[in-house]
Amino acid sequence: MRNKKLHITIIIIFLAVIGVCLYYTCIKYTINSSIKLGLDLKGGTQIILKPTNVGEEGITAESMDKAMLIIMDRIDKLGVSEPLVTKDSSNNIIIQLPGVDDPDRALEIIGKTAQLEFRILAGSFISEEGLPVTIDSETGNLSINSEIGEVFLIDPKTGRASGKLLTDPETGDMLLVSPESETQDVIGKLSIKSETGELLLTDPETKEILGEILTDSKTGAASLVESVLMTGDKLAKASAGYDSNGRIIVSMSFTGEGQKIFEKITSENVGRQLAIILDDNIKSAPVIRTAISGNAVIEGIDSLSEAKDIALVLQTGALPVSLKVEESSTVGPTLGMDSLRKGLYAGIIGLILIVIFMNSFYRGLGLVSTIGLIVYILIFWGIMSGIRTALTLPGIAGIILTIGMAVDANVIIFERIKEEIRKGKSARISISEGFKHGMRTIIDANVTTLITAAALFKFGTGPIKGFAVTLGLGVIISMLTSLVFTRSILFLMAGLPGVATTKFLGVRMKRSNI
Amino acid sequence: MKPGSYNFNFVGKGKIWFIISSVVILAGIAGYLVQGGFNFGIDFLGGTLMEVEFDREVSIAEVRDVMENLDLGNAILQPVEPNRFNESNRVIIRTTPIDIKTKNEILNSLDENIGINKTPLQDRTVSPGFGKKITRNALIAIGVSILGILIYVWIRFELRFGATAIFALVHDVLVTLGVYAISNREINTATIAAILTILGYSLNDTIVVFDRIRENTSMARKLGYAQVVNNSINKTLTRSINTSVTTLFPIVLLLIAGSPALKDFAFALTIGIISGTYSSIFFASPILVAWNSRFPKYKK
Repeated sequence: MRNKKLHITIIIIFLAVIGVCLYYTCIKYTINSSIKLGLDLKGGTQIILKPTNVGEEGITAESMDKAMLIIMDRIDKLGVSEPLVTKDSSNNIIIQLPGVDDPDRALEIIGKTAQLEFRILAGSFISEEGLPVTIDSETGNLSINSEIGEVFLIDPKTGRASGKLLTDPETGDMLLVSPESETQDVIGKLSIKSETGELLLTDPETKEILGEILTDSKTGAASLVESVLMTGDKLAKASAGYDSNGRIIVSMSFTGEGQKIFEKITSENVGRQLAIILDDNIKSAPVIRTAISGNAVIEGIDSLSEAKDIALVLQTGALPVSLKVEESSTVGPTLGMDSLRKGLYAGIIGLILIVIFMNSFYRGLGLVSTIGLIVYILIFWGIMSGIRTALTLPGIAGIILTIGMAVDANVIIFERIKEEIRKGKSARISISEGFKHGMRTIIDANVTTLITAAALFKFGTGPIKGFAVTLGLGVIISMLTSLVFTRSILFLMAGLPGVATTKFLGVRMKRSNI
Repeated sequence: MKPGSYNFNFVGKGKIWFIISSVVILAGIAGYLVQGGFNFGIDFLGGTLMEVEFDREVSIAEVRDVMENLDLGNAILQPVEPNRFNESNRVIIRTTPIDIKTKNEILNSLDENIGINKTPLQDRTVSPGFGKKITRNALIAIGVSILGILIYVWIRFELRFGATAIFALVHDVLVTLGVYAISNREINTATIAAILTILGYSLNDTIVVFDRIRENTSMARKLGYAQVVNNSINKTLTRSINTSVTTLFPIVLLLIAGSPALKDFAFALTIGIISGTYSSIFFASPILVAWNSRFPKYKK
């Protein structure tokens, strides 16, 4: 009787586990969303980026984390729901974008390099009350309303106005005119270039571009800069540090060609401000005191960490490590869903065939194996749902294979039971013997499969990992179900009348044995 | 035939099975040589793959014409689930890695000349270097699992069992790869996963038979080792067949009705399972007997 209690306890434990599993599959998540689908099934884009060593810092955990944060930031701009940015064991960054069907656009935004430009700063737009005028991020135009009053273009160092904004009463165009002049000579017209959204100052007659209006990241003021004099590709190195007065600086050295250009720029613009522009934001605008050959410094930085960030960004484009696209993969939602549906059908029909086969071959034992199979599927489903591991296409194949293995455990035991019965042993003893012998075989056979699953999980990439997870999970659950649950059910049933018959156990006795 | 009462002489005809296995494996090697190697997918070689949906069923020749005009005539074109005229409204286009500009040129040109859905059903680009890494990882995974299995079987059984089990699974992998070489089917990461699964499955099968041999070894003194092995195979035969049948049910269904990617997977598994069942019965056990007659430990 003690054994009976043990078996009932085991069955109750299993029922409780199934209850928890059903909670996950049906209550915590709905049946349709109970299992997280991989991108190859629900459709979406996966990009694998490999960091390549650049800059002094190299690839450190810190620079990788920073790169991942920046990528996450950029992905937010894509407006993707549930994006996932992870790192694999060999430091590759894996980006998963559900529902994105244009990998090239995603790559463009994620992998863009920062644009570094050197331009002369003409001044910032300041209202008559001394407040900075900003650029409206939606319209791309200056945010000016009637309350602001007059707006002047102010040289931030000298504080002198070099221009004033006026609205042309006839055309509605915004014009920059010379300040406090009776004639109000038109310097240029402000207009947004439709293709790029750039806010430009153009000569109203010749249409020549005189400058561009960008945001000064320090003051937030819209500022006018002249044409691009040099770009970041002429930069050789950038590093953060202190100057002789203890101020935080970023020093830059240029390539041979860059040095010549930079010397020319500085010698021609002594006394003016050189705007250092990163991704269309004016980062710093030091006054050129003398012609500079060799190195240049960015001053006016608040903290050393900011200086380090700027140096990194200058050195590597916007990301602290350079990233190379190793793989970009997009699966449309129709294709993925098609795979899932067909996989499901094959699985369900396959299961029905298995059940029919087992029941006709093993009779009553077949019924027990059917119950075991249902328990196996419910637990498997619940765990997949609970651990939120994405089900991939190879994962489906893994599940189908493990169903075969789950049945195998039953087949091994049932065959053994039948064998013992043919030897003339009682049903109860045969069941006990069958499990005793079968257990060792099943454990040995399944441990070797587990070794394979572990190797796949450790060294596999992407979808193969998903396969390893389902394979490993399936093997463990099937062992537990067949060796513990099915065993208890059978032992309990062996006590019932009519069960311990050869008919129930599906044994056809040889004549000599009867 | 009554279940459980088989008495085939598997071991006595050992030579025949060795010859059959050798013929199948040699055919695979010949196929490999004739086809000029395996048909590796972009996972291994790197490249760009696009699955394009056309407005109507097209022949490969039509698509090839368009590609030739773009100087991409050497692209690999493959109809997906073609009809009996080998036409399909879905075509997989595989090229060396190409940039966005070329991609758009292909899509625009196909749209102008034939008419397509401008968003490809799938669009993958793998850098050649990454393919090498995947190959290396796959080989490491295979090596590690073989080593792990050998050690486990050695501990649980004997070294000769472990080594024989490895022979059997190398046999199964060679047979599967041979079929891939002969049929020139594409080998991708899913194939590697399938092959690794075959390793596991083949071993599973072999160990079930070995387990029975281990259990019956004590009878070797009376019956001789060959007879013990033969009896053990017969005793486990129903199990071997039933398990293969039940495992094959859903896999064959996948092979018939799955999506192309699942079919690929199911194809490798089907061959592997058949070969795995075969090798555990006809290949591994006779080797064990041959080993024992060469280096006797039990009565022959």
